[in-house]
Amino acid sequence: MMIGQELSETGRRLFRDFPILRMLWESGRKKGIRETIGLIEKAEEFNRTFAVPRALELDMRMEREPEYFDWEIMRRACRYRFLSLFIPRQLGGIAGEFMVTNTSLLMDELCSGCSGIALAVGAHSLGVAPLVTSGAMAHWDTVLKEIVEGELREQPVTMAYAITEPSAGTDVEEPEYLEKAKLSLEAKKVKGGYVLNGRKCFISDGSEAKYFTVCAALDRSRPLQTWTTFLVERDMEGFSTPRVELKMGQRASHAAELLFEEVFVPDSHVLGYEGDGMGNGILMIMAASRGPVGSIATGIARGAFQHFLAWAKTKRNGKRPIDEDRIRLALADMWGMIQENRGLYMSNAMLGDGIFSKALDNPIMNLTLGLPSSLRTMPLMRNFLNSYYGKAMINAILRYYLKDEDMTQLLETASLAKFSCADNAMELCSRALSLMGPEDSEERRWVEKCYRDAKLTQIYEGTNQLNRLVVNNIRFEETLRVEVPRPLKKGVMA
Amino acid sequence: MIGVPWARESKQYTVLRSNALNFAVSELAPVADDLENTVDSPLLWKAVEKAGEMGMLAALVPEQLGGEGVDLYSLCVALEESAVESAGFAAALLFHNAALVPLVYSDRKDLVEEFTRGRPLCTAATAGETVLEEGKVSGSAPFVFNVMEGAPVLLFAGSGEARKAAYVRVGASGVETRIDPYPLGWRVSEFATLEMKGAEPHFVLDGSEREALAATERTLYLGLAAVANGIVRKAFQKAYDYARQRYQAGKLIIEHQAMRLMLARMLCAMEEGRALIRRASGVEDLAPAIIAWRRAGANACQAAMDGVQIHGGYGYMRDYGMERLMRDAKYCQMFPRPEEEQLLRLLDMAESGS
Ligand SMILES: Cc1cc2nc3c(=O)[nH]c(=O)nc-3n(C[C@H](O)[C@H](O)[C@H](O)COP(=O)(O)OP(=O)(O)OC[C@H]3O[C@@H](n4cnc5c(N)ncnc54)[C@H](O)[C@@H]3O)c2cc1C
Repeated sequence: MMIGQELSETGRRLFRDFPILRMLWESGRKKGIRETIGLIEKAEEFNRTFAVPRALELDMRMEREPEYFDWEIMRRACRYRFLSLFIPRQLGGIAGEFMVTNTSLLMDELCSGCSGIALAVGAHSLGVAPLVTSGAMAHWDTVLKEIVEGELREQPVTMAYAITEPSAGTDVEEPEYLEKAKLSLEAKKVKGGYVLNGRKCFISDGSEAKYFTVCAALDRSRPLQTWTTFLVERDMEGFSTPRVELKMGQRASHAAELLFEEVFVPDSHVLGYEGDGMGNGILMIMAASRGPVGSIATGIARGAFQHFLAWAKTKRNGKRPIDEDRIRLALADMWGMIQENRGLYMSNAMLGDGIFSKALDNPIMNLTLGLPSSLRTMPLMRNFLNSYYGKAMINAILRYYLKDEDMTQLLETASLAKFSCADNAMELCSRALSLMGPEDSEERRWVEKCYRDAKLTQIYEGTNQLNRLVVNNIRFEETLRVEVPRPLKKGVMA
Repeated sequence: MIGVPWARESKQYTVLRSNALNFAVSELAPVADDLENTVDSPLLWKAVEKAGEMGMLAALVPEQLGGEGVDLYSLCVALEESAVESAGFAAALLFHNAALVPLVYSDRKDLVEEFTRGRPLCTAATAGETVLEEGKVSGSAPFVFNVMEGAPVLLFAGSGEARKAAYVRVGASGVETRIDPYPLGWRVSEFATLEMKGAEPHFVLDGSEREALAATERTLYLGLAAVANGIVRKAFQKAYDYARQRYQAGKLIIEHQAMRLMLARMLCAMEEGRALIRRASGVEDLAPAIIAWRRAGANACQAAMDGVQIHGGYGYMRDYGMERLMRDAKYCQMFPRPEEEQLLRLLDMAESGS
């Protein structure tokens, strides 16, 4: 049968824009690609019926009422299962063989509608990621399950990812810098757990999330050696989110400050080992998430492009802008940038899936996750998974499937996609506005929003400067390497 | 604080600059955020009144017509300094002053008096198409700045040789306004599209339209270049100060070359902007003004964007005042006409020797 007849319109569009998907389809990966297409169809519907009709209004409202949050975003996201992107299928989520690709394509699609709404959805998965990649199985049957069950009931349970501190942004994203960072948050070891004091800032979804993955130093004078990833719950005593920021763009989601005042976090809530934070809490996450940030930028650029194209085709004073060559040339340039971006983020995504699909779908994992969850949640089993040897076992499995070289290469492609896509998006939006000039049109308003939204992609997930340095440090100087957590690692506080 | 190290100006302009900067610092800086949040606020009118006392409301109108009679470079100096604290306010002043230019070519002292009372401000419609037929104005002028009840709006009615300098008043019969609820930048005054259907003009310049409209355009382009340069100055000041107090990777971020390069580019932009404005205001031609505007507008966009970047996440937040520069800068580039259109026009002008 001809491909065209078997595919929906969305499928045909995707194959045209991403020939690699067609290649995968034809080489026997139909099931996975069909799921990808299905996901993007949902994203289109989400945009058409929900995000696009309210994006401008919501953006404007959030300027007047920065505290407001539209929970309907998350409820809708539940309906389409967008909160389960990083949750393995064996646990009821939708992450499968094309987890990174799907996330990237979904972000591209959602951001072409409204990147603020998309960020509210996407930042949740960023929060989920460390729980998965650190192999914190003891929490899979509780936290991840709660997310999935909430999703199925359309009662969103969300997470956020908190690494940035008021005086350490770039510093927490690079081992060499973390060593010299001035940190605010500290986690002091006490009997049975840790006591956290200090602040995190700019945390997307921070004011809505129920759970947080938080990186903190156990000793602020040795941040890198003691950097540790914790699972924090909103209702832990002493935890609060006192402030949200008034952002220039991507406003539909909040950037919140997290305040920790003597927050007790039990030992069971350490993800991975003490001192593993740079590997499992930062670099592995960045390797998986910076590519999708590139796709966020691409989606914003595409949104701007679509509005610009609509403007170009609309008659004004008897003429259509597209009738002028310069506008046609600009359209081709812009489309070139979008496709260049897609090439970059897709090569990162394909590499990511090549790496992660093995780690999430292998005999040991299937066996473990195939057990009835009641077995895994038995206190004995949970205690084992949380114990030194339990973590050693999980780290051994992780290291078997996730190699340092692969993760390092993934980080390089992710950083490359991130800064290139972000710069292209900013340039595209800027150029579109210059070409439109002082126009009274709905399209101009959209592109102005995209212009504000795009700027953020040059800042978060590591500034573009940091990401450029990462590419250099990995590729040309070989001074940066991702270390997948090692089994049987000694405690760091000794 | 380091400033523009190379640009030198004569005493006359140095004094003017420092007065204008004083005005900006004392009158605009404290209210710049509030101005942005409420159009038509009493704070705006207080600042306008002060600007009036300094002669900024009829800067280019000769003294015998009741104005200040200063040269265009002086106006640019005042605008640049005002823009350091509020580009929106500076733009409002510029549109007002530019709209008065055709009056210089008529002998209507009464109109000058009427238009320069300071409230409402005047404005000029730069885009769209309007025509003057049988004494009535029709057509549409999109995205006009400074729109408020009763404001005199200068229209470039008709096209080519037949262009007329016509004024209509906002709110007059046959003039409809559609307010833009949410513009990107320059948020101190209202943006609106004006739809005119057989509106009675308030005044039509009869004779010297060509010169009058060309002079108006020149004022707009150079004034916008000055506003843009003010933004570059502010971006530099703020980013330079911030980079000298923010530590990352164990050192001040100003020690990172990535930051130094951005700051150095801003330094070049300030000099470039001022030199181009200086040169263009010394000649009567329009082309150098357009060239100055192109460069200064692009520089302002880049400087503001880099300024945000130097501030990292903080730059993206309202409280730090950087994101406003980025939004305001873009309008310096988008007004008064799309940039590429003007670029092509430059070549046309060169070919026709105008
Ligand atoms: C809206 C928004 C949402 C965010 N969401 C989250 C979130 O969900 N979770 C989270 O943890 N964080 C989040 N962040 C934080 C974000 O990742 C940081 O803002 C970013 O890493 C930059 O850090 P910073 O803001 O402290 O800037 P800084 O690190 O202070 O950087 C300031 C400037 O210095 C430059 N610089 C710094 N160090 C170097 C160096 N060594 N070499 C060269 N240049 C350097 C930077 O490139 C930048 O231009 C968010 C930020 C924003 C704005």
